[in-house]
Amino acid sequence: MHIKNHPILGERLHDPVTIYFNGKPLQAYKQQTIAAALIANGVKKFGESRKLMQARGLFCSRGRCCSCYMTVNGEDHVKTCMKMVEDEMVVIPNIGDPDVRGDSHGN
Amino acid sequence: METDVLIIGAGPAGLAAAFEAGSRGLDVVMIDESSRLGGQLSQQTQMVSMLPSQYPPMKGFELAKLLINQLHDFPVKILLNHPFIGLYQDGSIGVSDGKNVFPISAKKVIVTTGAAERAIPFLKWTMPGVMTIGAAQTLVNRDFVVPGKKAVIFGSSDFALDVAIQLKQVGVEIEGIIEESTKLTAQNMDKINLIKQASIPIYLNSFIKEVGGNGQVEEVYVQQDQEVKTFHADLVCVDGGRKPITEVFYQLDCSFSYQEKLGGWIPQYNERLQSSQEGVYLGGNAAGISFHGSILLTGIIAGISVCEDLGVLEADEANSLRDSLFKEIKIIESKQDDHLWLERMTHIENFLHPKLKNQFIS
Repeated sequence: MHIKNHPILGERLHDPVTIYFNGKPLQAYKQQTIAAALIANGVKKFGESRKLMQARGLFCSRGRCCSCYMTVNGEDHVKTCMKMVEDEMVVIPNIGDPDVRGDSHGN
Repeated sequence: METDVLIIGAGPAGLAAAFEAGSRGLDVVMIDESSRLGGQLSQQTQMVSMLPSQYPPMKGFELAKLLINQLHDFPVKILLNHPFIGLYQDGSIGVSDGKNVFPISAKKVIVTTGAAERAIPFLKWTMPGVMTIGAAQTLVNRDFVVPGKKAVIFGSSDFALDVAIQLKQVGVEIEGIIEESTKLTAQNMDKINLIKQASIPIYLNSFIKEVGGNGQVEEVYVQQDQEVKTFHADLVCVDGGRKPITEVFYQLDCSFSYQEKLGGWIPQYNERLQSSQEGVYLGGNAAGISFHGSILLTGIIAGISVCEDLGVLEADEANSLRDSLFKEIKIIESKQDDHLWLERMTHIENFLHPKLKNQFIS
């Protein structure tokens, strides 16, 4: 759920945008991170750990723990707690090993 | 890119250091991996305690604004979304803009990378819905998102109590504050009273044993005495304390020593806030976990030392400034916790005897 009227900071949410999670459109606001926008829309599970296949999501929200990584606009292993949403952004869970050295990145 | 001073980390300590260097005419470049200035201050809507005497009492985000605004007239170049990546062979610092890596060559480097929250392990602690207390605060005050409907808070520091109240204000029900010891670790009576007034239940001598749920937290199992209580909650906020962020210091090959009260292994430094690497200085929580006052004061001292070493500040003046700043750190730290100040002094005395070098990344 979004906080439309913050008890101390007041109304701060401007510039609504639409992002797509697994193809489903979700409303977000420009000053939010991807991870926060997903949580506001009730999405807490961002993927599965690659070894034990356990659900993972936002933990530190500081870019330290890397638990929230996802595929964003085709780019694997993006820390979603550090990246702001943009209109029409396409977000999908990163299930397997990220394709860091694959052809898609020209390496 | 070339500059006199490179500051890594644009939180309170970095901003304070940038003001010292920038206002004395040095060229400053400040980098930060996040997308805004102020570090963790910008989502702190609580009053910040223990500020240096020249600051009136204010809320964290107000302090961030003040520190940012005082840089306006000075040659400080700010690069947000620019993480530190590593070192080039010639000693210049590698910085990424998200696509490319480029070198910044600086005469002096001030590292103010701050602190990270510690996790507390319990069964299934990685399940979505479990997050640090700071992460919950970030969602509420930076992203304007309610992190859950019903929360259990594990730990009872002053900071955890602040966030518990902030969560309640945006409609999160606080099912309980779980504390392992026999009393709350928070020391601020006003905050403890606020929690009591808000009728938030406190469970002492208790710990979270396990959380349960299908892909996200639905239940929290709390051990109290011989009994296990089940809480229905979708949010667990973990208040595990903080530790300095030290990767940059490993890469810069700085020496370390251990000080429990300052957050564990921390880079060594002398009374000039200079590390074992000649051109590298540090401040803030990276120089040992403490209160807002010491975060600012150590940042200021690092800035002053850099100004002295680059010849824009006389040695006499620098020495007397540092003396009075250290006196203020002493007042702030010993007022709250005697051991904290003593450990900081021990740490500075240990500077001549490096404890740990080349142990991690070199």
